[in-house]
Amino acid sequence: MRKSLRALVPIAAAAVPFAVLAGPASADTGTSYQTTLNALNHSSGSGMATVTVHGNQADVKVSWSGLAAQFNGGDYPHVQHIHIGGQGACPTIADDKNNDGVISTTEGGPAYGGIGTTLSTKGDTSPKAATDIKIAPAGGSTDYSRTITLSNDTMQSLEAGTGVVVVHGLDPATLSKQAQKEQSDLVPSLPLAATSPALCGALSSMPSGGVATGTGSTSGVEQLGTFALGGGLLALGGAAFATRRRVTAGR
Amino acid sequence: MRRRLAGTGRRGVLTLLALVAVAAGLVLVVVAVAAQQSAPRPPRAVGRIDPAPTTAVAGTPRTSTSDDPAPEVAGPTSTPLGASPPVRVTIPRIAVRSPVLPVGLAHDGTLAVPQPGPDLDKAAWFEKSPTPGQPGPAIIEGHVDSEQGPSVFFRLGDVRPGDTIRVLRRDGITAVFTVDAVRDFQKSSFPTSVVYGGDLHTPQLRVITCSDFDASIHHHVGNEVVFAHLTASHR
Repeated sequence: MRKSLRALVPIAAAAVPFAVLAGPASADTGTSYQTTLNALNHSSGSGMATVTVHGNQADVKVSWSGLAAQFNGGDYPHVQHIHIGGQGACPTIADDKNNDGVISTTEGGPAYGGIGTTLSTKGDTSPKAATDIKIAPAGGSTDYSRTITLSNDTMQSLEAGTGVVVVHGLDPATLSKQAQKEQSDLVPSLPLAATSPALCGALSSMPSGGVATGTGSTSGVEQLGTFALGGGLLALGGAAFATRRRVTAGR
Repeated sequence: MRRRLAGTGRRGVLTLLALVAVAAGLVLVVVAVAAQQSAPRPPRAVGRIDPAPTTAVAGTPRTSTSDDPAPEVAGPTSTPLGASPPVRVTIPRIAVRSPVLPVGLAHDGTLAVPQPGPDLDKAAWFEKSPTPGQPGPAIIEGHVDSEQGPSVFFRLGDVRPGDTIRVLRRDGITAVFTVDAVRDFQKSSFPTSVVYGGDLHTPQLRVITCSDFDASIHHHVGNEVVFAHLTASHR
């Protein structure tokens, strides 16, 4: 009923006041980035990372689970970095240049770039600490939270949209026989599985401020046009009665 | 005789016209009055945002602060799901059943919203957030109203902790979330890190719409956010 009336009364729609959408005003100072971490190389894990930048400091949170838990009888160290200066993307199996079924860290380079920041649990966060397994999160899952100083290179890459979070360390059993025998392209004393990427996510800006999900059309008086038309018809009816009385009186 | 007939005819037409006009006018006014509506006001704050998984505090009763007196409603967190985008959201409490489309960011850096057209009154999922059921906060938003009247999340203010939100994913799995908390934030102090971040480890859901219409400037100055976590999943 209301719908058909509305169709008959286009003025009603026009009468509903147009709202000016609120401009965004973010209360959180700093710029934030986020990404989901998705599995590479048939790893089974997943996770999420956020980076909130205040000046040259960054609050980094990285959470993941489902990765290989044990390595040589101990907790599996998973080195993790913000890669920079590449295409700002995660590699695909097309990047597996030597066709061993594993995208090595080197093979993924064109997609995610080089290491800008090492997300270590303590101490050095520079690229120099990239393969230091003593300060890497260890085990099958982690909730990493650390405030670190970002290098200019990493900062610029984040702003350019080319920052990529990569977590390394595969379960050797998931690799092909050939790949299981290969040595790491980064640390020759380690097997290929130990340093190959397991999770990857390209950082992008977190939404700023609130959300413009309303116009206020239901907050004031609705159906102004219908009111107007109804009132007009009532007036017209009254006028018609008055005219009728005049006609009667004139007789 | 002729004059009388003519007079009766004119009088009859006028009477009929007047009656029709008055009747139609009354109907329109009644319809317009019946169409008056306003979205339910969300509570300022009920429930606890991102309660730790119950397994982490087994045997330890959780204390609630005076600022947060709502009863604890967190059930156990279900095992995270893999990635698969949402296709439909259902909120039984407020009779919402809507398709879900992906959205990105607007030019000003805010979350984009469904635009006028066939998708205006559908729910939308932020495509850079986790898919519902993945670890971290999946973001679903929708209009409270549009130029055409009430929109998909018109009644979101009636949702309360303990309510169920179901999200059907493209892989055929339905992720079932239980509401933990409802917050009414001012847009001027919107806590982006709490809403878009927060608990990155367990599968979370945020459902966002507009609130707090300010008639003096004619727009909504608030955002209602419903916080929920994954409690089950099924095919």
